[in-house]
Amino acid sequence: MATEVAGAHGHDEPDHLAPYLSPEAGRGVKGWLLTLDHKRIGLMYLISTLLAFFMGGVFALLVRLELFAPGRTIMSAEYYNRAFTLHGAIMVFLFIIPSVPGALGNFVLPIMLGTKDVAFPRLNLLSFYIYIIGATFSLYSIVTGSVDTGWTFYTPYSTTSQTSVVSMVLGVFILGFSSILTGLNFIVTVHKLRAPGLHWKRLPLFIWGTYATSIIQVLATPVLAITLLLLAAERTMGLGIFDPALGGDPILFQHFFWFYSHPAVYIMIVPGMAVASELFATFTRRAIFGYFAVAMSSLGLALVGFLVWGHHMFTSGQSEWATMLFSALTMLVAIPSGVKVFNWTATLYKGSIELTTPMLYALSFLVLFTIGGLTGLFCAVLNTDIHLHDTYFIVAHFHYVMMGGTVMAFVGGILYWWPKMTGKLYDEKLAKVSWLFVFIGFNTTFLIQFVMGSKGMPRRYYDYLPQFEIYHKVSTFGSWLLLIGFSICAFVLIKSLRSGAKAPPNPWGSAGYEWQGTESPPVMQNFRETPTITRGPYDYHLCTDEELFDGFPEDLKK
Amino acid sequence: MASAHSDHGHGEHGEHADHPKFLAHHFDTPEQQFDAAKFGMWVFIVTEILMFGGLFVAYLIYKGQEPSVFIEAHQRLDWKLGSVNTIVLLFSSLTAALAVRSSQLGKKNETTFWLVITILCALGFLGIKYVEYSHKFHDGLLPGRYFTAHLPEHAHNGHVLPQRANMYFALYFMMTGLHGLHVIIGMSVLGWVLARNHRGDFSPEYFTPVEIGALYWHLVDLVWIYLFPLVYLVG
Amino acid sequence: MSDHSHSHDDGKVHAHVSSFFFLCAIFGALIFLTVVTVAASRFDFGSANTIIAVLIATAKATLVATFFMHLKYDKGFHALVFVMSFVFLGVFLFITLEDLDTRGRVDDASTVRILERRGEQAPGGFNLDPRGVQARERQPAGGGAHH
Repeated sequence: MATEVAGAHGHDEPDHLAPYLSPEAGRGVKGWLLTLDHKRIGLMYLISTLLAFFMGGVFALLVRLELFAPGRTIMSAEYYNRAFTLHGAIMVFLFIIPSVPGALGNFVLPIMLGTKDVAFPRLNLLSFYIYIIGATFSLYSIVTGSVDTGWTFYTPYSTTSQTSVVSMVLGVFILGFSSILTGLNFIVTVHKLRAPGLHWKRLPLFIWGTYATSIIQVLATPVLAITLLLLAAERTMGLGIFDPALGGDPILFQHFFWFYSHPAVYIMIVPGMAVASELFATFTRRAIFGYFAVAMSSLGLALVGFLVWGHHMFTSGQSEWATMLFSALTMLVAIPSGVKVFNWTATLYKGSIELTTPMLYALSFLVLFTIGGLTGLFCAVLNTDIHLHDTYFIVAHFHYVMMGGTVMAFVGGILYWWPKMTGKLYDEKLAKVSWLFVFIGFNTTFLIQFVMGSKGMPRRYYDYLPQFEIYHKVSTFGSWLLLIGFSICAFVLIKSLRSGAKAPPNPWGSAGYEWQGTESPPVMQNFRETPTITRGPYDYHLCTDEELFDGFPEDLKK
Repeated sequence: MASAHSDHGHGEHGEHADHPKFLAHHFDTPEQQFDAAKFGMWVFIVTEILMFGGLFVAYLIYKGQEPSVFIEAHQRLDWKLGSVNTIVLLFSSLTAALAVRSSQLGKKNETTFWLVITILCALGFLGIKYVEYSHKFHDGLLPGRYFTAHLPEHAHNGHVLPQRANMYFALYFMMTGLHGLHVIIGMSVLGWVLARNHRGDFSPEYFTPVEIGALYWHLVDLVWIYLFPLVYLVG
Repeated sequence: MSDHSHSHDDGKVHAHVSSFFFLCAIFGALIFLTVVTVAASRFDFGSANTIIAVLIATAKATLVATFFMHLKYDKGFHALVFVMSFVFLGVFLFITLEDLDTRGRVDDASTVRILERRGEQAPGGFNLDPRGVQARERQPAGGGAHH
């Protein structure tokens, strides 16, 4: 019926009741590149962040391959420095930060809120293009000599390096604006565009997490912008603000950088937690235990995240007072993180757990994030950190949080919302196989790095002593398992796009708002009628059979 | 055609079921749209404050470390021109507020008048800034490695600045430069608002862009309110 | 304050319209404060100079935000958002300053003073804390900094 309506009114105007992927909702390349629809923008983000993940992954594999044996294996030390810098910079700025908010947030957030779009659709498209422009600058930097400073751009490396730092720094500067505008858009959307009946205590935890993330993006990213501007000026004009020879202080750069980049860690992990909360609720068929505490702990992480940046600088030469202060404050992070982990665990207790692939990813998230979080405490304790600082222990710790946490949740989220996004089902069995490879591969790669680090293997080193060889070999082997796992996962998704079965509106039988009253894929304006919310997102006991039915609506009537 | 579908969910606002032209399809009421735009602008102002804030933090830190050098260096700035510029900018803020007022009252020509005055003030500000900058350039008071005011040929009343004073000028140029960039952006925003006002887009029911543009302009003023005494007066 | 703009429920925009003379009076107050801050800078209050300048600037900023930017008639939440930006900036400023002010306070050897033998500071380095300098003068150069 929708297509007939579309036929009636000409060419360029999108049809608001056509499925958003159909030509009636916007034709051809122009219908995608100039779309104001949050779902299409979300998909464009998904494709670009996955490309970035692929690129960053290639650099990771190269780094691991070089470390397979001591001495030169496949590349020179100069190229090794570039490879690990690019791995870090691409994964952080081009992949993780925009991944969950940009791709999943853009797609799901307005649907969960029961609205037709984000508050500022044009700004939303603009922030996607700003992302693309920033990514182009970064790629330009890679082509013209690349960067070898590490993703943190520490002075004086970054002010004296002969590589093309300025274009990379400008690229990241531009990417920051994309992040700010997305955050701004989400904050306003959550405040001003909720469906009737959707008050704050009924917000899904994905919204709470995205909202907390947006607050961090808005408050922290501007400081990164000014830092990078100062760094670019330092390189082009010899400004001197970070140069001791001119009266500047290189440690001040670290303060500036980490005032953004520590909160940015929460920009990366809080959305992962947000996705995991949704997965736990759906696949245990019960309300998240301690809903309000979990919601508030997202905001708590956002707040505490601003008070602890100096724990990256324990050995930098900052004052001992500051070090002690930051060490004490860092312990606070464990409180909201603990609240979350305990509440998720309590949700699992006596839930009717269904081990679908998204749930397997959510459970991996829970385990791996807990390991990552607890090892973080070791690094917060000063005397332990002096030993562990800048070793592979740190590398393993943040990979457990970033990859074991966010990437696992991101992949779980993609699979979970895949039927809604594409209208297609995917091959559960093969997806489980890919999960197994990813999970085992991940732990093989990184668990051993804890051991290696605590024995004193420094991070970012090109060469190493013979006693570390076995650890590096195991770790590199793990990276190959990860490659296999993600390749299978990509195959599963591509196969689903080409020949997946048609998805019913609510294939998981979830009580979540985004599965109610929408089609798979949703129509252009999301809902045929604006929904009125009368229950919480996890109130399985209040749901009708119709709401939780996981087949096609016409089968229900039979 | 959008209106054929977009009146879902407006049941509770019966008399507004017809979407006015200025109301985007995903908003229910003009009030909701106005509030969203204004809230968005406030959030954006927060980001701007934190961005400039970084520079102020750097300025205060280095000022605290080298108080005497900063005091000596700041005497090379022209506080009189700075004061004139402060008054120009404060006045432009007043006219921006008056433009919003006229727009709220639906007085199109008055709005145009106040917006033009505001933009002229912005141009005046940039003109005075240009005079100041060219003096600095002439005296070798340039940022970073171009700083030459410590050389004998740039002696001022018989004595030269220490080389460390380059830090003061590095920060001076970063702060005023970034602020100047915001003046230019603000001018462009107000120019766009002016064009739309001229086209007759605004009415007492819909004056959001005027309000938003003015909020941005006040932000430019706010930054200068802190910048002027800290950089020009106390050094 | 927020109910002022929300006592209407017709979905129309109800923003406060300030009177012409009131806005001009605010402008007058801003000019007055500008004169005060310039005048105050002609006197030397020592280390209070900066604090006085910031206080007067804050008074001016408050006037602009409250009346020109309509915060007084706006939702209270917008004022909260605005103030929060200064709170987070304050966190950044004070913890960073805390680091820079206390370097070398616990471990005397840990400062940026690098040319120890000639007693010179690094070019443009930090002004050492007077207590730190005294502690260093009491000890012969190269002596252990054990406490």
